[in-house]
Amino acid sequence: MLFPTLEFGIFFLIVFTVSWSLRWTPGFRKLALLAASYVFYGWWDWRFTGLLFASTLIAYLAGLGLERAERAALRKWIVGVAVAGSLVILGFFKYYGFFLTSLAALLDSFGLARDLPFMEIILPVGISFFTFQSISYVVDVYRGDVRAERSLADVMLYISFFPQLVAGPIVRAADFLPQLHETPRLSREHLGVGTVLILSGLIKKMVIANYLATGIADPVFFDPTVVGAGDLLLGVYAYAVQIYCDFSGYSDIAIGVAALLGYRFLENFNQPYRAASLQDFWRRWHISLSTWLRDYLYIPLGGNRGGEKATYRNLFLTMFLGGLWHGAAWTFVFWGTAHGLMLGLERFIKSKIERFAPAQAGPRGVAGMLGDGAQHIVGVVWTFHFVCFTWIFFRADTFGTAWNYLAGFGNWGEPLQYATPFLTGLIALAMIFQFTPGNLGRWLAQGIKHLPSPLLALLLGGGIWLIWAVAPAGVAPFIYFQF
Amino acid sequence: MLDLLHDIETEVEGGWEAASRAELHQAEETRRSVARFTRVMWLSAFLLLFFNSSQLVTYVNGFEVGPVQDAVVALSHTWDEQMRKNGLTAPAAAIRAEVDDLRTTGWAELRAEFPVVERAIAALRGKPRAEDDALPGGLRDTQG
Repeated sequence: MLFPTLEFGIFFLIVFTVSWSLRWTPGFRKLALLAASYVFYGWWDWRFTGLLFASTLIAYLAGLGLERAERAALRKWIVGVAVAGSLVILGFFKYYGFFLTSLAALLDSFGLARDLPFMEIILPVGISFFTFQSISYVVDVYRGDVRAERSLADVMLYISFFPQLVAGPIVRAADFLPQLHETPRLSREHLGVGTVLILSGLIKKMVIANYLATGIADPVFFDPTVVGAGDLLLGVYAYAVQIYCDFSGYSDIAIGVAALLGYRFLENFNQPYRAASLQDFWRRWHISLSTWLRDYLYIPLGGNRGGEKATYRNLFLTMFLGGLWHGAAWTFVFWGTAHGLMLGLERFIKSKIERFAPAQAGPRGVAGMLGDGAQHIVGVVWTFHFVCFTWIFFRADTFGTAWNYLAGFGNWGEPLQYATPFLTGLIALAMIFQFTPGNLGRWLAQGIKHLPSPLLALLLGGGIWLIWAVAPAGVAPFIYFQF
Repeated sequence: MLDLLHDIETEVEGGWEAASRAELHQAEETRRSVARFTRVMWLSAFLLLFFNSSQLVTYVNGFEVGPVQDAVVALSHTWDEQMRKNGLTAPAAAIRAEVDDLRTTGWAELRAEFPVVERAIAALRGKPRAEDDALPGGLRDTQG
């Protein structure tokens, strides 16, 4: 079930009504939300609800085991087995085909071609997200950040809660489980935030992302050899905006829907293309994944505690695995690796600059401030273009396509085919919103929270009507569903 | 395993008598907000039902064949026809036509419509306007 559809509208109307009518019996309310979440997931393919349950059960039993085990070695064994179990499920469904294809190619290159047991495996929607949430729960219980839940229903609801189930944000057990124990409440603030986020998410996805995808990004990436450099340049800008609007649009709707049900999710995107460094970019892009990778991978690997070399290695490994998490293809591995290497390089250059030209203390002169401003602008432009460069590998289906794309930048003689004023305007508009005040959404939510019901209905219903009228026909799936 | 009873009992034990003034205020605010947003959702649904009936037809056309589904499909088509006849679908169609117009507008048309754009491009390239039928960077427009 996709968010911007009539069926989701009907589904949400029912869930909202039923769940809030059950607010005096929190147990039944949670059960109703749990049933709704499994219906939401089963709508796509009911057979995979068993997989969702299996992943939850592993986490739940491990949590109980960790609560009871006292010996450190046993606790380590439990957390190891539970994390390995979740990763085996993820590995089988997501990487089995990729592993065998890569192995077959490797054997073939050595002249050792073999018949390998290939299988057609369907990738269950959202498996990467709910696996990471299961792991997060087990590790948080192991570290003592949360207590093990005795209620299976609570763990099931935490992992399967429908707003974040198929494409995030990756919610932490420590953030969500305590909310399940509080009396559910809905305030004017929740309504304001929910309405603003749902409308902004729909605009981002249905209007900006869908027009840019069909109008320029898809055709340009389909065959980059038949267009000139102008289209290729605007094509990669379009994809950068498309993937941002597609994914942050989904996150906005998920956070908004959760707010209307009385739950709070943390922000997942914070104007990432205004970042002045790659490190800053990763603090603003897919925040729930980058903080997950930091807390459950980078820090356990040693973080920056083992000296310079170990820090670079840990950065590289974290981003390499982050790339692999996105998809079972070498292009994703390259994408993650490039980010890892550049993060390391950025850190190295920064440390050298700080050593040879340390920042001056005290008030800065006009020249100093101008210098800082110029440095910031160069940082933003450089970071955006490096990110765009890596998006080429992320979007291209093969290295051949990515290479053709890059080679096409030498061809400035071709006329523009796809870069129309409309699409250029959409890209420009989306980029302008990267530089607006960060709390614009909060101001809007504050502004509408006191509107009377008919006016709020006019805003919500009229907004959805306008978006449907302006958006291209049909509903394209979200990019991150494939991950 | 499903700890429903515990939750329910805890809720009952607390009861209204034990609730603090702040909790009562919060409960009242929640009741009002739920009622408010329920009204908002129903009003929005009616708004869309009247002004966006074509979307309803698109949705029901995806139903499988069956007696109930066929009746729903027929009803939706009739509803959409009525809305169309009364001109309620016209605003959406007009907006869509405007957007389609905008989408197919090329650079040349844009420059003709907004001379300031042409002047800006000419100034950037340092060429007289009349000679100028190409975009900056020597890219020629094939759209218009």
